[in-house]
Formats: sequence, C-alpha cells, structure tokens
Amino acid sequence: MSAAGNSNSMTTTFIVYGAILSIAVFQVLFAMMSGPSLALMLFLGFLQASLGVMYFMHLGQERHSLFLVLIPCTLFVVFMMNMIWSDSFRLLRMHSH
Amino acid sequence: MSQANLAVDPHAAVMEESLFAIPSSKLVMWLFIISDAVTFAAFLFAYGYIRNASVDWPTPFESASIWNALLMTFILVTSSLTVLFAVRAAQNDDRAAAFKWTMITAAGGALFAILHLREWSSLIGQGVRLFQNPWGSPMFGATFFTITGLHMLHVIGGVIALTVVALTYKAGRYSAKHIEIWALYWHFVDIVWMFVVPLLYLMNMKRS
Amino acid sequence: MSEAAAQHGPPQSFIWKYVFSLDHKIIGLQYYALALVAVFIGMFLSWLMRFHLVWPNAAIPGLQLLSKNGAPDGLITPEYYLSLLTMHGTLMVFFVLTNAPFAAFGNYFLPIQIGAEDMAFPRFNMMSFWTTFVAFVVLLAAFVVPDGPPISGWTAYAPLSAIGKDAGPGLGMGQNLWGISIAIFCIASLLGSLNFIATTLDLRAKGMTLMRMPISTWAWFITSCIALLAFAVLLPACLLLILDRVAGTSFFIPAGLVVSDRLQPHSGGSPLLWQHLFWFFGHPEVYIAILPAMGIVSHILINSMRKPLLSHKVVIGSMMAIGFLSYMVWGHHMFLSGMNPFSALVFSFPTLMITIPATILALIWLGSLYGSRLQITAASLFALGFISMFVSGGVSGFFLAQPAIDIYLHATYFVVGHFHLVMGVAAIFGIFAGTYFWMPKMTGRMMNETLGKIHFWLTFVGTYCIFMPFHYLGLAGNVRRYSSFVDDFMAPLMPVHKFITIAALCTGAAQLIFLYNLVHSRFWGPVAPENPWNATSLEWTIPSPPPWNNFGGIHPVVYHDPYQYSVEGAKEDFIMQNSPEQVETPIPS
Repeated sequence: MSAAGNSNSMTTTFIVYGAILSIAVFQVLFAMMSGPSLALMLFLGFLQASLGVMYFMHLGQERHSLFLVLIPCTLFVVFMMNMIWSDSFRLLRMHSH
Repeated sequence: MSQANLAVDPHAAVMEESLFAIPSSKLVMWLFIISDAVTFAAFLFAYGYIRNASVDWPTPFESASIWNALLMTFILVTSSLTVLFAVRAAQNDDRAAAFKWTMITAAGGALFAILHLREWSSLIGQGVRLFQNPWGSPMFGATFFTITGLHMLHVIGGVIALTVVALTYKAGRYSAKHIEIWALYWHFVDIVWMFVVPLLYLMNMKRS
Repeated sequence: MSEAAAQHGPPQSFIWKYVFSLDHKIIGLQYYALALVAVFIGMFLSWLMRFHLVWPNAAIPGLQLLSKNGAPDGLITPEYYLSLLTMHGTLMVFFVLTNAPFAAFGNYFLPIQIGAEDMAFPRFNMMSFWTTFVAFVVLLAAFVVPDGPPISGWTAYAPLSAIGKDAGPGLGMGQNLWGISIAIFCIASLLGSLNFIATTLDLRAKGMTLMRMPISTWAWFITSCIALLAFAVLLPACLLLILDRVAGTSFFIPAGLVVSDRLQPHSGGSPLLWQHLFWFFGHPEVYIAILPAMGIVSHILINSMRKPLLSHKVVIGSMMAIGFLSYMVWGHHMFLSGMNPFSALVFSFPTLMITIPATILALIWLGSLYGSRLQITAASLFALGFISMFVSGGVSGFFLAQPAIDIYLHATYFVVGHFHLVMGVAAIFGIFAGTYFWMPKMTGRMMNETLGKIHFWLTFVGTYCIFMPFHYLGLAGNVRRYSSFVDDFMAPLMPVHKFITIAALCTGAAQLIFLYNLVHSRFWGPVAPENPWNATSLEWTIPSPPPWNNFGGIHPVVYHDPYQYSVEGAKEDFIMQNSPEQVETPIPS
C-alpha cells in the first residue's frame, strides 16, 4: 500500500509548481515575441507534462515497473499516429511525397 | 515478496503480491488515464491533420485571448497544487483540511470552466460556429470547440467527482485512497491542458 | 490488494442473480448469449446475401416485412444488399468476435484460472455488459428505422458515412444509430479491459506467478491491453463522425463534394483521416478477435496432447509481439485508399514482420503435436481446425501485405476470403473449441461428443468450401460489395458462386446441430464431473458449475506451472496446479 509514501516535500512541490508555471509564461512570451514554433511549443508542453506526471502524479515514486509499463506503451501508440502526416501534407500539394 | 509487505497487507498471505504494489482502483485510474490520453492524442492528431491539409487556416487569437488562456493555465495548475494539499492532509488523516482543499480544488475547476465558457461565448459572438467562422477554414471552429469541449467535459466531470468524493470522504465512507485517485485524474486534466494551450491557442495566435 | 474483490454475497432474487448479476460467471454467460444471438442474426444476413447473389430474381417470402423499401415483394434491392453487408460485418466483428472469445470466456474463466473469487470490480463488470447490450439494441434498431440500416459497410468509410441521407438509403438515422452504437460499444470495451487488467495483475492466488498463468489467461490479458488503447482511438473517430453528421462539421468531408446533384455544404475535411483513425483501431481489433482464440486453442490442445507446448514463454512472447506489432500495420488496409505510396511501403514492412510471431505460434502448435498422443474430442478437433484456418488464411496475408499485389486484390473476393478465414472463421473455431471444452464447467452438463464431431466435420469442410473459392474468384477479378453479377463480365463465375451459396446454406444449417447440442445438453446432458478432461488448471478444481464464490471461500494455493502433463513419477499422468504433490524432476540424461 502506498499510503505511507507518495508525497514530495513541500519544497519540491512548490518548485515543480513554479517550474510548470514559468514554462507556461515563457511559452506564451516566446510565442508573442517571435511567433510560435511548433517544435519548441511541443517540447515545452512535454516538459510541463513530464514534471506533472513525475511529481504531481507521483509516478516517479511508484515502483519503477509501473512507469515502465505505462509510459512506453502510451508514447509508442502516440508515436505510431505520426504515420498520418504524410497524407495530410500531400493533400495540400497533391504530390506523391 | 518481502516480509514487510506480508505484515502490512493482510491479503498478502493468501494472494500473490500485486505487480505494482498499488491498490487496484489506483491502477485502474492509471490505465484509464493512459487510455484517455490516447483518445485526446487522436483528437489532437486529427486537428493537426486537418490543419496541415488546409490552405486557409485562420490564426485569429488576439493577445487578450492568449492572456486569458494563461490565466486559465494558472488556475488549473494551482488547483493541481491544492489537490496535492488535499492528498497530503488526507494521508495525515486531517479530514477537515482534506475536505477543505478538495473543495477548493473543485472550486478552481469550476472557475476554470466559467472562464472557458465566457471565452466560448465571446467566440460565438464573433461568429465562430462548429461549421463556420469569419476568418477561414470552417474546421477552425470545429476542431477548437471539439477539443476544448472535450477537455471542458473532463473538467466538469472532475468538479462533480471531486465534490462527491469530498462529501463522501467527510462523511467517513471514503479513505485517503479515494482522494489520491481522483487527484490523479485531476492532474491528468491539467496535463491535457498543457498540450491544448500550445496547439490550439498559441499556434492560432494572430501573426503580426 | 484484493480490496475490491467479491464484496457481494450470494444473490437471492432472480433479477439480481441472473439479470443484473455481479457474478463474473453469470456475466460471462450473458456475453455468450448475446454473442450467440448476434452470430445467428449475422449468419442469417449472410444467407440472404448469398441467396441474392446467385438467385437475384427469386423473391424471399416474408422479407418485405423486414424492410418494405429494401426488399419490395421480397426482392433485395442493391442498396439493401449493402445494408445487409454492413449489419453482417458490424454484428460479427463487434458483437461476436470481440464478445465471445474475449468478453464471454474471459469473464467466466480469467478469474477462476488465476484463483480469484471475482473480477476486481464486479459493478464495473456488470456495467460493461449492460453497456454492450445497449450498443447491441441501438445497432439492431437500425433495422426498424424507416430507411433501414446504413450502406457504408462495417468500416463506415467517409464521406459516404459522414454525409446525411443524400448519399443513399440508411445514411440518415441508420448511420447515426450505427455511430452511436459503436461509440457505446467502445466505452463498454474500455470498461471491460480496465477490469481484466486489474484482475490479472492484482487478484492472483498465492503462488500464481505471472509465468504460471495458463496461456488462455495470458491471451485475455494481452488482448485487454490491446483493447485499452485501440478502442480509445475508435471512440474519438465515432464522435467526430457523429459531429459531422449532426453538427455540420466536416472532419471527414472534403470541399466541393457533389452528392445526389447537391453540392454538400462542407469543406476542409479529409476522408482519409477517417480511414486512418478507423484502421488505427481496426487492425488491433483483428488481434482482439484472434488472440483469445489462440489462447483458448493452446489451452485445449495441451490438454488433449497430454503434454505442454514446446515453449510456454515463446508462446506468450509471440502473443505480446503480435500485440505490439498490431499498432504498426494499420495502413495495409488502406493501400487502395489513395494513401501516400511511400507510407504504403513503410506499412508493408511491419505487416510482413507480424507474420514472424504468427508463424512461430503455428510452428509451436504443429511441432508440439508431432509425436503426441492426441485425444480426439470435439474440442481438440475444433482446436486443430483453428490452426488449419489460421494458417490457410494467414498465407494469403503474405500476398496482401505487399502494396503492388494488394492493389489488384484488395477490392476483390480474395480479401474477403482472407479475412473470413484468418479472423472470422478461425476465431469462431476458437469459440466452438472453448464451448465444447468448457461447457461442462459452465453448465454442469457434458455436451454430446458424437454430435460435436459431426458438427466439426460439417463446419470444417463447409467453411473451406465457402471461403477457398473466394480466393480464386478474387484472382479472377471478381469485385466485392456488388449485389449481382448477372449480365456482367463476371457472369462466367456464377457456377462458383452457386457452389459457395449452397455450401453456405448447408454449413449454416449445420450450426443448428450445435444449437441443439448446446440446448439439449444444458438440460438433459449427463452430469459433468469436476474434471472431465483430466486437466490441470484451477477451473477444474472446483465443482461444475462453480459456486457463486468460485472456490467456496477457500483461497487456492498454486504450486505448479499450468501444464504439468505426463509427469514421470507422478501418481496420475497430470498434476493439478494446486496440488501440493512434488515430483523429483528426473535428471536429464
């Protein structure tokens, strides 16, 4: 049972909270200054999400096996969805590539 | 299986130890979360697909909308923090504090939903519909309302669930475990928003 | 960790005992009954289609009662043929192939095989059955709405499915009902798979390590992992389809589409997106249907051979590999869709790779059979039949995996023959094998073996007579989905079609033997002993049928691997999993 564990120290929690919000502010400011770059926006989103999953949802403190089952499965399935892009770009240009 | 676990868990003597050493209901919440994450991913991929395939995708969001989205992020992330307080209080068996923080979280969620609905109504006022908008590809409204709508449904569902859990917990029929499980769900709603903001708001910002 | 297990006592009233039961065994039987109803409706629809194909001008008396517009005077219109095709596919794939081997047998036997008293969440379990039931009723309602069931096939290809009734009969209310039904079905399957995974991981009896779980349990477990993430993609696809239909969005409808001389007020969408989302679910779904059948068949074959398979671990690993690869190959359903030819190449490679674990499985079954003293029962015959169907259907998969060949064959009967053999009939054979094997446990009565064997031979020969000629028809260029081949370049192929139709009518009729056997032995069959097959797994350690709490309140303890057959030095030729008997392992010479 995990009733005993599963809580970060208050300091860690506040640091993570601050980090997630700072990333959000940075993201918005960056987008406003130099236009939204998809790669950077997604990277920052992933960063926020990882912090949330590992510290807010305490996945980092559960057994390692839980992480190893949940995260690779999800990322794998989401990763495979990338196979659709070639078709969406192609519709626009009507090329075979 | 360690001896310590045998002592803590009375079932351990008659059952094989659970693989992840978490309660079944927490495991099910995790599984639901990854399944739901894939659902949201499919929606976002559909949005990206259609956006790529469009020639006249509009980017209408003024900075006011963006600041509003940032405010909503602030509220949602803060409510994630308050639900952590609730979990901590519940684990220390401080029922009053756990109830209070869970209700504050639910209130944060409700505030988020209200801000979101206000934004929706302003967009609708500008003529954005599921099937048309004044700026370009009609799919802009369709994808925006579908994805934020699904997210809002999750928020509203979470507010209801947190309220029910808080009340049942206060009445003594639920334990810290239940608060912890619904806190997981609430964090997940928060995490989805972290992808909705860059993809649906920032990428659709008005270009100067 | 069994905090959620078996909180319910023995139910008293009829309603709580048999209708809204929390008992996983009753729920399993409910799923089985639902699948049985669905399979007979589906089979009846295929009869109508086959009949119409070869005797297009012969009226089917009484059919006008089912649909006045679709079959005026009992003559099936071309559109109604497509409606029948849609309903046949949807019923069979979702309500038979997903429900029977996975939800029905899984519900009944997964908790027992791991030594649990019930599923982890009995209330969830009941909900998932009744949600499935609602989906079933909503789907059948498409038969009675005025314009009948949709004509867009079980794959509901957009834009046909995404436009309203302009596009054809059944595409109004019928298609809405289809979308709603499948969306509900997704939710039911998600609930079910959550429950299966939690049960397998958390409620195993003492000593039941993961590697000691029977192969059938492993198959249900892997299947639920696939279903968890696959149905999560079909659900948004169905929601977007419903939005396209009722809210005026155009996710799947391109601009400038003219249908029935009317310019459609949609723009901005892509029909290919539907196919991507649908098949992203659709290919894993194939394995959701076939993996449980593989598990059931392995479980039964081992029992009939009286020896374990060549490798327990490789079988489980192959099933996992199939589950993993199933997410990488969906594009091979879309070679003909106008998809990017480069991605077709990319999809072709993992498709060929998936034949590796499938071949390993087939070789392990056949290699284990070699030199074994196989006991011929109805169950083991159907298990062998499964392997036969799986291999025959799988071999044509090699051809179809390659885009260049598939483009010629995809819209022909070749593909129809392929997926009916490898997915449809093979999974059905798995269900039959499971039924003959486990019905004694489920009902407490033995089934009639002679009738079972007759049923096997008629079905086995019959299905080959039906589906093998499909391949030749396909190679000859016979396109699928046409309702009639008269006055057509395909007219010379009509004798083959006649043969198939007669075979289909006979094979279908042979299923009445099964139905008779099932019903008769349920009430009048000889009483089943606890362990009629001298099997080793935990379901055979409890009375037939099991009491409401499975093990009578005792927590079984497991001492052995699941398949201890022909053990040298043991008292009998097998050792039950929960038997404390220890045998000195003979030193290998």
